[in-house]
Amino acid sequence: MGGKVSCTLGEVKNRADFILYWGGNPAECHPRHFTKYTIMQKGKFLPEGRKGRTMVLVDIRETMSVKAADIFLQVRPGKDFEVVTALRALVKGNRVDTALVEETGLKLEQLQDLVDRMKRCKFGVIFFGMGLSMTRGKHMNSAAVLTLAAEMNAFTKFVAMPMRGHGNVAGADMVLRWTTGYPFGVNLCRGFPRFNPGEFSTVDLLVRGDIDAAFVLGADPGATMPQPGIDTLARVPTIVLDPKVTHTSKLARVHITTSVTGISSPGTAYRMDEVPLPLRPVLKSPYPSDEEVVRRIIAAVDKKSAWLPKPATMASGVM
Amino acid sequence: MIKLTLKDQPTVPLEAEMLTPDQFSGLNLDAIRALPVFLGKRQLRVDDFFTVDGEPSDELEIHGDLAKVKYIGRAMTRGRIKVCGNVGMHLGAAMKGGSIEVTGNASDWIGGEMTGGLIHVHGNAGGQVGAAYRGSLSGMNNGTILIGGTAGLEVGMRMKRGIIAVKGQVRDFCGLQMKGGTILLMNGAEIRTGAWMIRGTIISLKPIKLLPTFPFACTYSPTFLRLIAKHVAPLGLSLPMDEQTGTYHRYSGDSSVPGKGEILVWQPRV
Amino acid sequence: MLRITGGKVYDPANGINGEVRDICIADGKVVANVEGGRTIDANGMIVFPGGVDIHTHVAGAALNFARALTPENQRVAAKFLHTKETRMGIGGQTPTTFATGYLYAGMGYTTVVEAAVPVLSAKHTHEELRDTPIVDKACCLLMGNNELVMDLLEVGEYEKAKHIVAWLISAAKTYGIKAVNPGGVAAWKFGKDAKQIHSPIDGYNKVNPGMIIANLAKICDELGLPHPMHLHCNNLGVPGNVSTTLETMKLLEGNRAHMAHLQFHAYGGDDWHTMRSESVQLAEYFNTHPNLTCDAGAVLFGNAVTITADGPWQHLLYQLTGRKWGNLDVENETGCGIVPYTYKGSNLVNAVQWAVGLELLLLINDPWRIFLTTDHPNGACFWRYPEIIHLLMHADIRRERVRALPEAALSRIYLADLDREYTLYEIAIITSAGPARALGMKQKGHLGVGADADIAIYNQNPDGELMFRYPRYVLKGGEVAVEEGEIRSVKDGHEFVCQPSYDAGIEDYLKPVFQQQYTMSFENYPVDAERVHGMQIAECSYQKTT
Repeated sequence: MGGKVSCTLGEVKNRADFILYWGGNPAECHPRHFTKYTIMQKGKFLPEGRKGRTMVLVDIRETMSVKAADIFLQVRPGKDFEVVTALRALVKGNRVDTALVEETGLKLEQLQDLVDRMKRCKFGVIFFGMGLSMTRGKHMNSAAVLTLAAEMNAFTKFVAMPMRGHGNVAGADMVLRWTTGYPFGVNLCRGFPRFNPGEFSTVDLLVRGDIDAAFVLGADPGATMPQPGIDTLARVPTIVLDPKVTHTSKLARVHITTSVTGISSPGTAYRMDEVPLPLRPVLKSPYPSDEEVVRRIIAAVDKKSAWLPKPATMASGVM
Repeated sequence: MIKLTLKDQPTVPLEAEMLTPDQFSGLNLDAIRALPVFLGKRQLRVDDFFTVDGEPSDELEIHGDLAKVKYIGRAMTRGRIKVCGNVGMHLGAAMKGGSIEVTGNASDWIGGEMTGGLIHVHGNAGGQVGAAYRGSLSGMNNGTILIGGTAGLEVGMRMKRGIIAVKGQVRDFCGLQMKGGTILLMNGAEIRTGAWMIRGTIISLKPIKLLPTFPFACTYSPTFLRLIAKHVAPLGLSLPMDEQTGTYHRYSGDSSVPGKGEILVWQPRV
Repeated sequence: MLRITGGKVYDPANGINGEVRDICIADGKVVANVEGGRTIDANGMIVFPGGVDIHTHVAGAALNFARALTPENQRVAAKFLHTKETRMGIGGQTPTTFATGYLYAGMGYTTVVEAAVPVLSAKHTHEELRDTPIVDKACCLLMGNNELVMDLLEVGEYEKAKHIVAWLISAAKTYGIKAVNPGGVAAWKFGKDAKQIHSPIDGYNKVNPGMIIANLAKICDELGLPHPMHLHCNNLGVPGNVSTTLETMKLLEGNRAHMAHLQFHAYGGDDWHTMRSESVQLAEYFNTHPNLTCDAGAVLFGNAVTITADGPWQHLLYQLTGRKWGNLDVENETGCGIVPYTYKGSNLVNAVQWAVGLELLLLINDPWRIFLTTDHPNGACFWRYPEIIHLLMHADIRRERVRALPEAALSRIYLADLDREYTLYEIAIITSAGPARALGMKQKGHLGVGADADIAIYNQNPDGELMFRYPRYVLKGGEVAVEEGEIRSVKDGHEFVCQPSYDAGIEDYLKPVFQQQYTMSFENYPVDAERVHGMQIAECSYQKTT
């Protein structure tokens, strides 16, 4: 099986002589990534900086990031999983079907060359973006890349990590893990945490209409969800906490304006490599912080008669 | 037979793992009516949602559109459930024995991690049929699942033993990380069939798109197919066997794992 | 105010061995006498100082990574319902933080030491500890592969290295330091390991594991830290590693050190097929070297999750098991690896591991120097300690279990020959008084006047497992936290930190190096004191006796 083999970004800066971006366009979407953490930096073990590193970009189209790459591999849309799986076989020296490989838009020689370079490097890293993790195959595309990186460690040092989206996604993930044991897609209805992405993840709950109220914090699902999900948000009582007017706040019953975390209220943000950074406010805001609003809601709920799960909820051992 | 009829479709999913012959055994109708079901965070009674009639029995018939009712037949070991209508997620999850029949469509995770028994869905099924729950080492470990219509993603994911047969088309990742057992595709599948499979057999009667890590091995008609054919005949399925009419192409893989699994694709003679 | 009366008191730090006497409590402390207040009738019960776990992994980035990696474990683990007193949670191999507090307190443990914290993610560890209720906490800072320190040792700058260690301990708000596979994890950053403690580490000319170990032990002593260097030796888990462990111990003569999870470092043999117990050889050396303490790191059969900063070992384990693998290297400081693992009684290697843990506990004759741990969740979960206590108290039950092991294991272990049976007095030492002393926590692990009123009261029962699994009462800070298996009051515990002194000028050296090698601002690196919940500063007053 695979797993997740990763590191903090400083390791990439100090050591990575092989950097592969897959399904992302960091030049435009993560503009500081090249200069702060990866290809442009001089590292402790890479005093030459850019010259000492090889950068490969895999994507379905030419983007601004191509200019920064030493090698660009253009894969046909929806063929990423096929390519990564073929790479995993080639890494182990196993047979693949040449004709089927070429259907991906890449030649077998190109894949073999990539594998050779990967094995030759001292420290390799794969960053994968939403072009991989949000296209057909979704979590299995991510799993494929993570497993490829894990298996490369039989030959040389290799890590992989996702280029995470906007906001403090990693932070939400971390807090859910220590409080519920699971990173996302958690259901607390039975009085204890349960986890099943696809069943309990936000997009699935909204699209199926499996909810009768929504509380939205630090996100704008009204802009990103499929239409049936947006319809559900409009149908049920939706409460939004957000510093600004958003697509979601427009269809919500209640919008509470809050101050911007990191600018007007303190907190902690987790970097994409799960390193925590303290947020220190620089401006005053007339609005309360998200935390304060949530605390006041909890206090108000506490005044109502308590709802406590009955032990029977556990007896059946679901999930 | 005990007959349950859904009064109104719940607005949010109803978790009803008590609806099994095992839980009903030894209970009179009033006791059955009082069994707990869970609507969101609320614990309610069976008769808040269902009318309950009939005689105490190992046979259970449930009527209505149960698309939002989850966990029916969970961990059942014996008896029979017939669902007249659609049914929600986790039908027959962790089931050990007995049989479940659904006249309509079923949702995701039916027969998840089951170890025995039979599930027959006449309509379409969702994804993760007979699959492992997220993170688990293995999915269904025995038993039979028959889907009359189509099925969704990740059918038979990490299954170890047993048979899954699907009459309609199946979506992506059928037999993902399969460890054993057999999947019969009467009408083919979309893409990435058998991805990362370690062992086991996937048989398709229609041409399917293969991963590059399933190189062609040989043409043959293995003897064990006759055994499987015999096993599925009572379910109304027949496998072509006549060498006059065609052969099976064997593709071995997944070479990325590396796997000892196989995909057999029926090739009619032209 | 509270009085416990009628119970048999086991307070080894004060030499009290099962005498019936009253314990009086006021303002969270043990006092000589109280008038009025509640009385707990402890007739037929035994009274212990609250348990102290010297080495466990219950909070931090690595454990939180493991939680995400093993939903299959959480799914079958004990569930904690949301009640008026408690928050919901999950037990199992990697319990949620709230469940961790309830599980420890529910077993009579009131102080725990999180054994592995990188500076870079210390903020995160403290956030989790804040959400770990009831118990008091402290953590050890990972220092055995810190490149700032290693680079200084390479050029012979010992004093500067010492100031940096002191600065880092203060910055990360930790209690002591831990060295994990010294040099090996740094080498792992390029896919290597450090197997020879006298050979230079990959990338260095002079620095070898032995040099790191000796210097860190000395630094700990010179800084006066209450707890000595906490050491996870090189070559963990592999056959024949006892030679590395013995060599390492020899390097430590003249300094204090705590040898973590010694069980994993006590194997003979040349490979997995010939692996055998070397507990006798190791215990012989250990018994004659009072500068050392250790914890058992015992193994029990069943599911575990291995979590360690020892990256290269985890890669090996991933290849051996074919199960999933998590790895997170932390820039310039350390690494972390996670592999789920199942110990099976039918497996020869696992059988030897199970025996070695118990053998060390029985062969090391001074209970003040070996403590009960399972290196949770590596060898077994902490909530299984009562199973081990039961085995320590009954030689016949141990022999019965040995008989169930594979035939081939019997010639490789010593367990069946050992007759020693632990007394309740000794159990109180290895679970509380001993670890508290080794940690230098003077207010913990005893019931004398002035001690923190952390007390576990058990119904006396010949079945040690039952007795220690379900305390009748657990008091934390003088309040009844657990009564008859139910959580009664949930107060947050304290976190103990040390602030050793350092030359303030060291920041001028650190800043430019940091700017070059790290990826965050220097100002964001230290943990703000207000982010450490219930922080109490412990004195750095250890003095070497000559």
